[in-house]
Amino acid sequence: MAATLNVCIVGPVKILLIEDDSQTADYIAKGLREHGHVVDKTDNGRDGLYMATGEPYDVMIVDRNLPKMDGLSLVKAARASGTRTPVLFLTTMGGVDDRVAGLEAGGDDYLVKPFAFAELLARVGALARRPPIVAATSLKVGDLEVDLLSRAVTRGGKRIDLLAQEFKILEYLMRHAGEIVTRTMLLEKVWDFHFDPKTNIVETHISRLRSKIDKGFDKPLLHTVRGAGYVIRTSD
Amino acid sequence: MSSVHRIRPLARILRSATFRLTLIYAGLFVVSACVLFATVFVIATAAMQNDMQEVLRTEALQLAEIHRRYGLLGLAEQVTRRMSYRTRGPIYYLVQAPTQQVVVGNLPGMPPVEGVVDFVHDKDSAEPNDARAKLTGFGLTLPDGTFVLVAQDASRLIDMQHAIVRAFIWAGALTLLLAIGGGVLLGGNFVRRIDTIGRTSRAIMEGDLSARIPVRGNNDEIDQLVVGLNAMLDRIQQLLEGLRQVSSDIAHDLRTPLGRLRQKLEDAREHASTTAEYQAATEGAIAEADSLLEIFSALLRIAQIEAGAQKSAFTDVDLSELMRSIAEAYEPSAEDSQHKLEVDVADGVKMTGDRQLLAQLFSNLVENALTHTPDGSTVRLALHPKGNGFEAVVADNGPGIPAEEREKVFDRFYRLDRSRTTRGSGLGLALVKAITTLHGLTLRLEDHHPGLAVHLTR
Repeated sequence: MAATLNVCIVGPVKILLIEDDSQTADYIAKGLREHGHVVDKTDNGRDGLYMATGEPYDVMIVDRNLPKMDGLSLVKAARASGTRTPVLFLTTMGGVDDRVAGLEAGGDDYLVKPFAFAELLARVGALARRPPIVAATSLKVGDLEVDLLSRAVTRGGKRIDLLAQEFKILEYLMRHAGEIVTRTMLLEKVWDFHFDPKTNIVETHISRLRSKIDKGFDKPLLHTVRGAGYVIRTSD
Repeated sequence: MSSVHRIRPLARILRSATFRLTLIYAGLFVVSACVLFATVFVIATAAMQNDMQEVLRTEALQLAEIHRRYGLLGLAEQVTRRMSYRTRGPIYYLVQAPTQQVVVGNLPGMPPVEGVVDFVHDKDSAEPNDARAKLTGFGLTLPDGTFVLVAQDASRLIDMQHAIVRAFIWAGALTLLLAIGGGVLLGGNFVRRIDTIGRTSRAIMEGDLSARIPVRGNNDEIDQLVVGLNAMLDRIQQLLEGLRQVSSDIAHDLRTPLGRLRQKLEDAREHASTTAEYQAATEGAIAEADSLLEIFSALLRIAQIEAGAQKSAFTDVDLSELMRSIAEAYEPSAEDSQHKLEVDVADGVKMTGDRQLLAQLFSNLVENALTHTPDGSTVRLALHPKGNGFEAVVADNGPGIPAEEREKVFDRFYRLDRSRTTRGSGLGLALVKAITTLHGLTLRLEDHHPGLAVHLTR
């Protein structure tokens, strides 16, 4: 049941890390490198902007508070000069306003410190392989199929009835098939909850979804990755 | 500030606003007194002059009548008699023949004049002190050419004028003296009251938060200011006590999870030998650290919301849709804990607000209802338009909250005795309160017979 983390992110991702706290930077870089990624790091905004606009990266991780140039200005400047690298903001400020400001400046995702490393890893993975802009009309993992137009879900030709929120969860997982999706990511994308509910609403919904799509089939598709989140894929 | 303290008390009084005001009033009084004086002076002088001339004219006419009846001899006799009376000060007479020869009188001869005449009279040596006198007279030429003049000493008028001037000088000096004295007294009073305020503020700065400025009770401007200042001090003290309470609550509430964290790590160091045991201990420690972080972020969120910084994220929120999706999100969890979730939400209720905060508000209320009621209880979500706004209700049929504790449950870290053992930080309802305040909603806890009903109205 429990899978290791690195199975889920295929291929190395080239990451630019801009973080002024050396301890945090070392911790993140070490962790990402252990998962096979390539990490360049710098501790100030000006060098960060120079590197971001000079070299192609798959993902940028940017701290909001940086010396010489703050994270927001850096990302605005990078976007203005045509850099389209996905940006993950790191911040200690988790207010809605801060989050909105970050996304408006051109950020793609937002992670509030302190965070679990698995959360960062999952988000970097999701950013590195953002789904193509072209809208798919159906998603398929193994013998599980989701028709996005008719909202019909079938497995092995057998029709499965899902409630609205279960469908949203499945759609998000299928769009990120093979990647770990964390509990927080589901809360944000499915329910638009930017806080941590005390109740296990994600777990209960996943457990229902699992009983509908996996129960009675030989090979389970929806897996729990311990300490990280969930992943939908064909084999262990 | 320090320069003020070195100045001597009298100098401070002289510089005080009240004293200056008194001086200004005194100055104004002096000016108005001068105007009054001039008026009185002019009017009194004119009246007295008139009076004198009238007396002289009457006397002259009386003499003319005597002359008509009794002839020149009768007139001379009468004038001689009148010269010997000294009724209203000395009266001078002159009866002069057409030849300018003096018939009778105590004035030297002169060319005849008609009517009022002012002239200087050189008196005889019998009264050397007052040898020259200013006289006012009334002259009349009678039908047979005899000239009659009646005159009076004008010094009475001058004496009166002097008396008026003296009275005004004395009164003015006395008024100024009283004004300055009163100014010093009142100014001193003012300075003393300001000093009291200064002393109190210093006492407060030095740590005596309970110090208050004494109120006189006469409800003047300073009293009103003092009442305002005292009210402000009460509020500040209240806030500081709240802050103190919160800090000590935070310290207290963080000790428990920190203690558990430490205990788990210590336990791992002492007893864990296999990787699995270490892993279990680490996971336990991470869970404790997470719950600590959760408390911090909840506190931070409450502080942010209370600061009102989030209003820029306000948009139109479909509350009906929001409440339904909350209900849907909690449906499976409710079912797992054998709770019944009832939804009675009217369509199309909208409000302006922060969608994410409103989601957290209702999710906190639903979670609260689910955690603090026994299995099998019913939790009801209702939303209906009411008046110009709406009423949202999250109600349960659990044990409820005793009436006397209903206000306290919104305090940070406040927990009912019976829920001390259930999971939770005691911050959920504090957050609810902060969010409702930010959105201008009215929050009411009511008895649901049995259970608790949380009413949100707008």
